[in-house]
Amino acid sequence: MGTNKKSVMVIGGGIAGIQASLDLAEQGIEVKLIEKNACIGGRMAQLDKTFPTNDCSICILAPKLAECFRHPSIQLYTLSEVKDISGEAGNFKVKILKKARYVKEEECINCGTCIEKCPMRVDDEFDMLLRKRRAIYIDYVQGVPSIVTIDRDNCLFFTKGACRICEKVCEREAIDFEQQDEEVELNVGSIIVATGYDIFNPEYIETLGYGRFPNVVTALEFERLICASGPLGGHLLRPSDKAEPKKLAFINCVGSRDIKNNPYCSSCCCMYTTKEAMIAYEHDNELETSIFYIDLRAAGKGFRDYIERGHNEYAINYIKGKVAKILQDEANNPVIVYEDINTSKVKQIKFDLVILATSMVPKKDASKLSNILGVELDEYNFFKGGFYHPQKSSKEGIFLCGACREPMDIPNSVIDGSGAAAKAAEIVMRE
Amino acid sequence: MQMVNFDFKNEIIKEDFSLNYCYQCGTCSSICPVAFASEGEYNPRKIIEESLMGLKSLLIKEQKPNIWLCSTCQMCVEECPQEVFLTGIFESLKNKIVQTGEKYPEAFKVQAKAIIDNGVAISLSPPIIRRRKELKLPNVESADRIELKNLLKATNFEKKININGDR
Amino acid sequence: MTYKYFLGCVIPGRLPYLEASARKTFEKLGMKVGDQANYSCCPDPTGAGQLDHLTWLALGARNLCLFEESNSNILSLCSGCTETLKAVKYSLEKDNKLKEEINSKLNSIGKKYKGNVEVKHFAQVLYENIDSIKKKVKKPLKDLKVASHPGCHYLRPSEIMQWDDPLVPKTLDELIEAIGADPVDYSLKIDCCGNPVEKSNKDISLLMLENKLKSMKDAGTDCIACVCPACYQQFEFNQKEVNKNSNTNYNFPVFYITELIALAFGMNAEEIGLKYHRVKTDEILQKIS
Repeated sequence: MGTNKKSVMVIGGGIAGIQASLDLAEQGIEVKLIEKNACIGGRMAQLDKTFPTNDCSICILAPKLAECFRHPSIQLYTLSEVKDISGEAGNFKVKILKKARYVKEEECINCGTCIEKCPMRVDDEFDMLLRKRRAIYIDYVQGVPSIVTIDRDNCLFFTKGACRICEKVCEREAIDFEQQDEEVELNVGSIIVATGYDIFNPEYIETLGYGRFPNVVTALEFERLICASGPLGGHLLRPSDKAEPKKLAFINCVGSRDIKNNPYCSSCCCMYTTKEAMIAYEHDNELETSIFYIDLRAAGKGFRDYIERGHNEYAINYIKGKVAKILQDEANNPVIVYEDINTSKVKQIKFDLVILATSMVPKKDASKLSNILGVELDEYNFFKGGFYHPQKSSKEGIFLCGACREPMDIPNSVIDGSGAAAKAAEIVMRE
Repeated sequence: MQMVNFDFKNEIIKEDFSLNYCYQCGTCSSICPVAFASEGEYNPRKIIEESLMGLKSLLIKEQKPNIWLCSTCQMCVEECPQEVFLTGIFESLKNKIVQTGEKYPEAFKVQAKAIIDNGVAISLSPPIIRRRKELKLPNVESADRIELKNLLKATNFEKKININGDR
Repeated sequence: MTYKYFLGCVIPGRLPYLEASARKTFEKLGMKVGDQANYSCCPDPTGAGQLDHLTWLALGARNLCLFEESNSNILSLCSGCTETLKAVKYSLEKDNKLKEEINSKLNSIGKKYKGNVEVKHFAQVLYENIDSIKKKVKKPLKDLKVASHPGCHYLRPSEIMQWDDPLVPKTLDELIEAIGADPVDYSLKIDCCGNPVEKSNKDISLLMLENKLKSMKDAGTDCIACVCPACYQQFEFNQKEVNKNSNTNYNFPVFYITELIALAFGMNAEEIGLKYHRVKTDEILQKIS
């Protein structure tokens, strides 16, 4: 049986969950941080820069990751999922399934030798499938904990009983194929859900050609394409012919504000498309960029100035009008069909690369987790928060933060994480 | 000068409330194949914009854009993110045009006249009847004219559509 | 379930050979489809309905009544008719007050619409019998590249039609595959052929057709398959006009999908009146023989 009741379980190690964990730990509360992936960091680790300051995303995030890892009051459970919960606020009993890493956490020093020698090539989910990783891998260079993992589904030893090269080359004898999944029981006073969001699949809007046209990509794919640690090493090339794109188009509200898909506004896209256009311009100031929008919802502090800077200093061409149709010419150039609202003319413009600002949607497995926890989801499948206390779930002692409860950007996720931490602390400090 | 006319807007909304939901994003004009071919000479968004402002004379008298160019392909209806029933709104606008005695394309009159006279849009000509025989097809029995005439009288069709241009 | 044909105006009055291929195809599939007398124009959803919605509903409801009275469902040979009849049924089902109003009009001719009639497009019925089509194929149309043109009223509005995907239709291509031919994937597949626009502006109508033809040509098409007489006429009769206006040389043979199925069933060109086609079909016949 687990530790004391004066601890809080945080589910999800993205920026919201990290902030909540750090706030709680600083108050002397024990934190059990549960992360499904091999490393914490979440979506923010995938981003190149953040708005409205254009800071390097991983540079802001990395110190927080390290702090989470080092903090004596935070215990990390990576490769872990919540399986069952009982009890009530102040005294929850939780069952965690901790999947085997097949690497001794205390021995691995992430030297990279095993990764180099691994013969398997697997689509890299962290890089939005834009490059291959090995079957023994680390999510990303700065990943925490800074140790490798064996991907059981693709490892040659597990699939065919052969290979074991990693075991042979590891000087620290850190590989352990005998490791088993284990069930851990925890006793916590309160719980914070911070499981984040998924990306809307734009293939559902067939007329935009995503999936059929190689040079139509999503915004998150673009973040990886342009990121220095991404598959192209930060040198932006388009997928079809690896040529440098000179004309970019961003399409906002792909799947958002759309009754047939997601009726809500995803709240970040107006800003992040501007950010991505700015970064692209910084890479190549001969770029011509257009952003197609319904309305520019620049509601945050400094956001409007940011968009004006985009227009004035980064030559971004903001075009009012939603694009519903993309065609493709013989050279794989996407051709956007749109109405120029000033003249009411319907025009076609050819671009080299089109980026779709896809909406933020609830995690695929949100309903599974909500069933386990016994908390309600809202009509869209986001976790349902209280009207006046948005971080309170429908069940006492369980709190919500970040994009698992509604689409939000990084600053708001941080605020939300702190808010949920304060609420969760109230419960465990009560006794 | 065009005057904003909310009474007229409300008249349209009474027939289709979904007009209210339009946020003028331009999805319809981007997806419309007629707008595509005519480079925006026909423009569904513009018609909805004019409807929202109740620009009666522009919509009904001057007919700019020409609402009769709508092919009724329903692509706008399928794609509209706000589920505005554009083709329904267009149909009621066209009904208004016709029934207030404004001009409308001759081909529509020709079809209406054929239906009034024969019950069908296209009657069987002698060569077609021969061809049907060659192909061993059964005879087509035409609709009961008197019955149709009575029904059209009940809906007041002939008068409404101003077929003889007497208004 | 018994069906009777709703032929519409265009097919019996202008394109009887399409009717012949449809009747023969359903016969071959062992389906008895009857004939109904006394129906009128559906009426045309792109025509009369645009003039007076009420008359459109009343005439449509009268047609539904005729089939209802004879206890049979409707098998429509035309997409426009299908949409009208389905839409009238849908509107009257949804709005009881409207139903009463229409019934008060129908009362003047001694009819009453109750709502017990099913409307189906012939291609839907074909698709529902796709397995028996596969079994009956004698001469698979091997290597024939067929661009299907679903057309608008076969698919949309999806809320009313409740059939194939309105933006990614697949039924026709599966039928084409079922008879051994290769469906062509082209970018403007779901776009309108332009036929209804002819009533108000022939040039724009032809431009729309040209866009479709170009998209089909780029994808390597041998021939076109339609399921609506309006679309059929647009492709069959107006390719020449496009060529004249734009200095192009489109010459795609145009088929009703039942004609292709009939050929795959082993019927000969004579039987189904292929000689009446304006764009000659000889090359295609050679290719599949």
